[in-house]
Amino acid sequence: MQAKTPPEVIRASSGFELKPFYTAADIPASHRERIDIAPGEAPYQRGFHPGGYRSKPWRIFQLSGFGKPEDENERIKFLLRNGETGFIMEHDRNTADHCYNVDHPDVVARREDVGLTGAVMQSVRDIAICMDGLPVDSSFAHPGGAVVQHAPFALAGYWTVARRRGFQLDKIAGTGQSDFNLTYLGCVTKQQIPTDAGLRFNADIIEFCGQHLPYWVPVSIAGYNAADTGLNPAQELGTLFANAVEYLDEMKRRGTVDMQMAAKGCAGVSFRASIHIFEEAAKMRAARVMWSELLRSRYDITDPKAANLRVHCVTAGSKMTYQQPLNNIVRGTLMALAAAMGGVQSLGVSGYDEALSIPSEHAHQMSLRVQQILQEETNFCAVTDPLGGSYYVETLTAQLMEKAWEFFDEIEKAGGYLACLDSGWLHARAAENQHDEFMAMETGEANIVGVTCATEDESPYEVDGFVGTDDAFDVATERLHETLRTRHESAAGTALKNLEAVCRGSDNIMPAMLDALDADVTLGEIGDVYRDVFGDWNTPIQT
Amino acid sequence: MTREHNLLQDAIAGKRAALARLLSNVENDSAFAMRLAQDLAPHAGRAHIIGITGPPGAGKSTLINQLLPRALGTHERAAVLAVDPSSPFSRGALLGDRVRMQGPSTGSNVFIRSMASRGDQGGIARATATAVQLFDACDWPVIIIETLGIGQVELDIMNLADTVVVALNPGWGDTFQANKAGLTEAGDLFVINKADRPGADSTRRELLESLSLLARRPLPTIVETVATDGSGVDELWGAICSRFMQLQADGDLATLRQARRMRLANKSIRAELDARAAASLASSAGQRLTERVAAGTMSSEETTRVLLQLLQGDQASAP
Amino acid sequence: MNQPSQKRILMSKTGLDGHWRGPTLVARALRDAGFEVIMIGMANTDEIVRAAVDEDVDLVGLNIGGHIDVALRAVRAVNEARPGLPVFAGGTVPPHAKRQLEELGVEVYPPGSQLAEIVDAAYRLTGATAPA
Repeated sequence: MQAKTPPEVIRASSGFELKPFYTAADIPASHRERIDIAPGEAPYQRGFHPGGYRSKPWRIFQLSGFGKPEDENERIKFLLRNGETGFIMEHDRNTADHCYNVDHPDVVARREDVGLTGAVMQSVRDIAICMDGLPVDSSFAHPGGAVVQHAPFALAGYWTVARRRGFQLDKIAGTGQSDFNLTYLGCVTKQQIPTDAGLRFNADIIEFCGQHLPYWVPVSIAGYNAADTGLNPAQELGTLFANAVEYLDEMKRRGTVDMQMAAKGCAGVSFRASIHIFEEAAKMRAARVMWSELLRSRYDITDPKAANLRVHCVTAGSKMTYQQPLNNIVRGTLMALAAAMGGVQSLGVSGYDEALSIPSEHAHQMSLRVQQILQEETNFCAVTDPLGGSYYVETLTAQLMEKAWEFFDEIEKAGGYLACLDSGWLHARAAENQHDEFMAMETGEANIVGVTCATEDESPYEVDGFVGTDDAFDVATERLHETLRTRHESAAGTALKNLEAVCRGSDNIMPAMLDALDADVTLGEIGDVYRDVFGDWNTPIQT
Repeated sequence: MTREHNLLQDAIAGKRAALARLLSNVENDSAFAMRLAQDLAPHAGRAHIIGITGPPGAGKSTLINQLLPRALGTHERAAVLAVDPSSPFSRGALLGDRVRMQGPSTGSNVFIRSMASRGDQGGIARATATAVQLFDACDWPVIIIETLGIGQVELDIMNLADTVVVALNPGWGDTFQANKAGLTEAGDLFVINKADRPGADSTRRELLESLSLLARRPLPTIVETVATDGSGVDELWGAICSRFMQLQADGDLATLRQARRMRLANKSIRAELDARAAASLASSAGQRLTERVAAGTMSSEETTRVLLQLLQGDQASAP
Repeated sequence: MNQPSQKRILMSKTGLDGHWRGPTLVARALRDAGFEVIMIGMANTDEIVRAAVDEDVDLVGLNIGGHIDVALRAVRAVNEARPGLPVFAGGTVPPHAKRQLEELGVEVYPPGSQLAEIVDAAYRLTGATAPA
């Protein structure tokens, strides 16, 4: 590797210049007073709980799923057996994200893709197969529904199965997602309800959980999806809170649940942990302060249950390289370390084969092992906020907050978060950064080991893309027909009609969705109702 | 020319690949386009040519996507020419209108062609007029042209379409002060798309106000649509068709097309003259002329006279 | 006087996966290199073939996000409808899929490829000349 002449200016990913070293004088005066506040105390910069990871290590929480519901069930059990402490049910994206059944022409045209990124679950029957034997009562679950229009179906399906197994909804714990950043910014589906309908869905879920599921995180805003689309860490923060404000303002307008409850419902978020490890750790610390300040100043909420941000973190998939994939185990470890140093409550590490496919069983195992080694062998969990008081990290934390609020204000000035999605303003910001990032790589300003330098590879292992099962489409087709043939048709018809009426009106969608799932109404039928009632989002980007 | 002639015969016989290649030739070779336009002129005039114009983001592509199935209810086939801007720096372009028309795009009864403006400033491309003629000659009974987002002077669609539909959004009046007059003059029909958003009523009032300042009576129809869910689009298609049939019945279509052809010829003549004048001024004689103008030793009237002489000289020396 | 013919490239995604980062970067780089890039988003085989014919493109670019069989089907259909029309591909293409695509004459640019390489390939495959 050629030695590079050190550049004159080195910048953080968020754009500000980094100094060669930091002293106490660099920490902004306004930030100094926060440094000595203990973990568990507002504004929570130093963490969620005074006991930190001593009292509760972060949750090992991996994305997982492929094939038929039983394939996914088996993989989740594998992960739980190997030390995962919560579980995630991924739905097949072809069907789920678009609310299509497998017989939709767009899906049939890609039949081999079906089941590649999650299990096909078109009715409560499929969801029941996927949940077979899973510890619904004792484990924290994410039943899928990452994309906004799919979330009510995924949640209602999980809750219906849980109820049928005798669990009470007000006792079970887990999280929804219905993430706007994924749906309208990072991963723009071919068909999607418009953003205003999406806001209504999410507000309905927050409202419903506020009234019936006190231990459930109704929606989870994912900064991750903004960041992995190109927004820098400060923009990721600004975007996330601009998004939260849309939800909270809507809840305030409705006035149907206590604002404290609504805020708590929005306080489970996810961030990306990327590879600039100190900046990423600082980001998690900054996020907690920003949330508690936002709630206090804008909604007059100080209750720790709401003001204490709980963070799930996923390592940056886009940083994982195709070349020399085993290097990604090291990258995953570093990014996991960054997240843990930032004090996150929950973590998923990308598979080392991320750039090739969804994780193989072995890649999944390694993602667990990385976290287990950190938790079990390094004494990491002994001390909370290990970076607290570092001149550098405290300065970074303060700078990130400042930049993030600036971006938050920019979004507000451009009409608010939803307007910025509709107009493509946020997409344009992400695209600018992507371009710069790529050019830095092209010009050799930034190096990626195994890709732009150190490209020789002596590895004896070929890592090939994981391909799950090849019968997901056929089995899903059979099961769809089976469901349609054997369900109580008039009950299904009534439930679907009722759901449509609710969609056209303004009642909360969740009770009707639960009834629809209970009556074996299928995903595609629900999607057809959405398309009819809400139409399609006018995508502001050209893909 | 024989290869091109064969292509034309194939295209008229319904071979899509031949039509597609001819469209490229029209775009790439202006001399060929001119010859072809001349050959096609007697055969043109059967199709109903509809232009959809309006500011960027008004939802033009989405509207066309909704109009296509309606058009196919009236006609056997429908063609779309979607124009997007070329980069003035690289001459490259991103042509993304097809994304929103993917649903109907695969039927053999629909032909969608994306076209880069290639430096033309009028909201369409230089090749658009001949491309339209070509579709007309190949028996495409309805041709929908999507223009660039409308700016100050991008109103060339008036010289090309039988029906110009101007698509706007609620709140248009606040952001489009400058070009209101041009837009209102250009439109035969107006659509307030995204009419489910606040401000649709006041936009309709403002639009009516601007339209009533014009001499045209009766006032053009205004239709409200939500293209994302299709509401109002039946009404829009109905309005497009009934206006066209009325024109045909009254015999006004022929007059309208004559005027349009004159405007198009006028523009073409001016463009050609401009190009020649520029070329003349770039010659060594022209250079001397400009120097004198710049120095103030020659009046602009005298300059014009000399330039015209130069131009005639150019023509005389041309092969 | 005519400038050299403008080359046209069709860009499509074979899967229903909406990640737009990579394809957008490539499309912009190609535009900036002087190509007219026709984007059709997530398209199935019929849609890709129809666009390749009607748009009379000089090159087809596929972003592959799913199972390789879906992409192979599209490539074969393009080969049949427009014999000799070059195809290049990028996206999540594991080694086994890369080999299968290459057997059909597709040039594959996996993640980590330089934009400059992709642009060069576009010049070469369309027979366009790069600006000096």
